[in-house]
Amino acid sequence: MATLNQLMALPGAVAAFAFQGDGTLGEHQIAATRLIDPATLALMARMCAANLQIATLQASGWDQQPGTELKGFLPVQDFTLIGLEWSVVVDNAHHTAVVLTNDKSDYEAAFAALER
Amino acid sequence: MSIVAELMNQPGVLAAGEFAYRGDRFSYRGQLDEEQARMLSIVCRATTMTAHMETQLLNNVSTATGLTGVRGWLLRGPGHTLCVYANTFCLFNTHAGSPNRIVRLLTAALADDAMDLI
Repeated sequence: MATLNQLMALPGAVAAFAFQGDGTLGEHQIAATRLIDPATLALMARMCAANLQIATLQASGWDQQPGTELKGFLPVQDFTLIGLEWSVVVDNAHHTAVVLTNDKSDYEAAFAALER
Repeated sequence: MSIVAELMNQPGVLAAGEFAYRGDRFSYRGQLDEEQARMLSIVCRATTMTAHMETQLLNNVSTATGLTGVRGWLLRGPGHTLCVYANTFCLFNTHAGSPNRIVRLLTAALADDAMDLI
């Protein structure tokens, strides 16, 4: 499992955090509090937990459909939200996430780091 | 070349298409049947609306976050990945497809798409 320090070393990292299944924010690091404050990060953690649950629901439904084209999503590994300037990459197995600026984001590096 | 055609030319891409923000209209190319594409388009629309709601909530707490305004999302599994950007979706093999390349293509083609349609 990647440490928060390792996630913060990713290009464009703004913040990295762990969270519980119910979305409660755990350990976190912020590159600069002018970028994001802990209260916003706490809401973001809830958003991440919710999106993982929705993604798992969707994947579970598809997995029961005939044919193979919509299978292959379980277990959900990551859910990424792409905003106007930032993206949040969320790992399901470890309930950790990293916030990246879009101009520097390397999603593949983020997946590899989160799934370590 | 349309963005859907460009996506279909990428390694690992199984299907690509477009969905409407309102209503059940969709179009697609690739290895899906009509019913699968319809289900996928509903998920794309619903999840994009949810993400839109979430970014609005974050914006209410802090206008400084770079998440204000959703552009897209990715759902990644061990076999397949679904990438959605604006009203375009791309289904690809997780190991054969490149999320970086696909998101870059979508951003280049759709970054200026109006977001007030969501």
